[in-house]
Amino acid sequence: MATESPSSVRKVVVHFRATGGAPILKQAKFKISGADKFAKVIDFLCRHLGRETLFVYVNSAFSPNPDELVIDLYNNFGFDGKLIVNYACSMAWG
Amino acid sequence: MHMEAQKYLWEGAIPLQIHLHELEVTTLPPPPPALILAPRMGYLPLLSTLIKPYFSSALPPGVDTVWFEYKGLPLKWYIPTGVLFDLLCAEPERPWNLTVHFRGYPGNILIPCEGEDSVKWSFINSLKEAAYIINGNSKNVMNMSQSDQLELWNSVMSGNLEAYLRVSSKLKLGTVEDEYTIKMNLSTKSGQGTGETDMAGQVKTGRIPVRLYVWSVNEDFHDLEDAPKIDNWDKISFINRPAEIHTEEGKCFTLHDALKGLLPEFFSDLPLIGEESPKLEDEDKMKIPSEDASSNRSAEEGVENLCERMESSCTTTIAEIKLVRIQGIEPKLEIPFSWVVNNLMNPEHFLHICICIKVAAGNTI
Repeated sequence: MATESPSSVRKVVVHFRATGGAPILKQAKFKISGADKFAKVIDFLCRHLGRETLFVYVNSAFSPNPDELVIDLYNNFGFDGKLIVNYACSMAWG
Repeated sequence: MHMEAQKYLWEGAIPLQIHLHELEVTTLPPPPPALILAPRMGYLPLLSTLIKPYFSSALPPGVDTVWFEYKGLPLKWYIPTGVLFDLLCAEPERPWNLTVHFRGYPGNILIPCEGEDSVKWSFINSLKEAAYIINGNSKNVMNMSQSDQLELWNSVMSGNLEAYLRVSSKLKLGTVEDEYTIKMNLSTKSGQGTGETDMAGQVKTGRIPVRLYVWSVNEDFHDLEDAPKIDNWDKISFINRPAEIHTEEGKCFTLHDALKGLLPEFFSDLPLIGEESPKLEDEDKMKIPSEDASSNRSAEEGVENLCERMESSCTTTIAEIKLVRIQGIEPKLEIPFSWVVNNLMNPEHFLHICICIKVAAGNTI
């Protein structure tokens, strides 16, 4: 990454929440590097749940662009020290 | 005036000359390139209904998955066409020569695209994200009726500004207050239709959704033609930070002020630490490794003592802004940011800013 500011290398706590009958993870909170893209969060969930596709949202509201940095999402939409990521097997919030 | 700028923008289009990739040509002679005017506000996959019939007879048998490439770089389909052009053509090339592929989708670089549905999904999600930044939730977008949502999407697809303003005013995402619009309201109230004054009436300040495409270069260039080519998406930092408008009495909040707030690391004319104002509180709450936390804190406490060191470190991180481009315009940095927001925003309520920054060699941050 060409322009990493010092803040983007910080770790972010991501709190996963299943929705719409999606399987629940044994561990719900993970630390992830803020410099990672949201695509990595989606990949991680797909691998853990053994699914090819998932619908992944932030704050039960919207699906971020997979290119967005986790630190940007945390700064914009995180609260209580974590970023809430919801996942569903079918479209949950159009 | 206000409407006029938006109207120009919505009518803005880029002349494309689209070539079918040579490996997908099965006819002799190969099909001539397709000439298409692509709306700035549009998205490349939406052109495929126009392009497909043009090339279909030349294609080998198989399943079509359309994607575009510029000088070897697969183009991200969810970035508005105008932004792709501003970003990848430092020296604007007209017509813009793109290569279209119908086979071999580069799934490692591009996220899957299933035509218009995928583009609409991406658009609506960006709109929800923007609404969240402005209002703290996406309810207005989520509660939109299906027919309104469809009308909104169709207005973007067809470049119909009037229809767009009519539907999007229901989202109450408002515009940004500035003297300019206030004067405007007074002058338009009498003559213009209600839809427009309704929207201008909801004046808001605060957080502006911004998508930044930062392209840093090491070597200097004087002519945009000599700018190094972007041959890899890793060369672009995609940054999403809301711009916060701070108004001081008697002082105009300019585009330069907004950029300083968005990219403090590149603006050397103010202390770097001084920039970290409201965010720090939240960040401190995070469970961060203790060494990071302590270094943060000491940095904060030592601001005054460090002044001298700060200065010297500033001079080493001096970055030169080579280019700021928004909607094909290279605006003067002194223009009021509120004007930029109210006039140059894309329909999903994000302001897309392309910036080329020259960072001193050996100092890639």
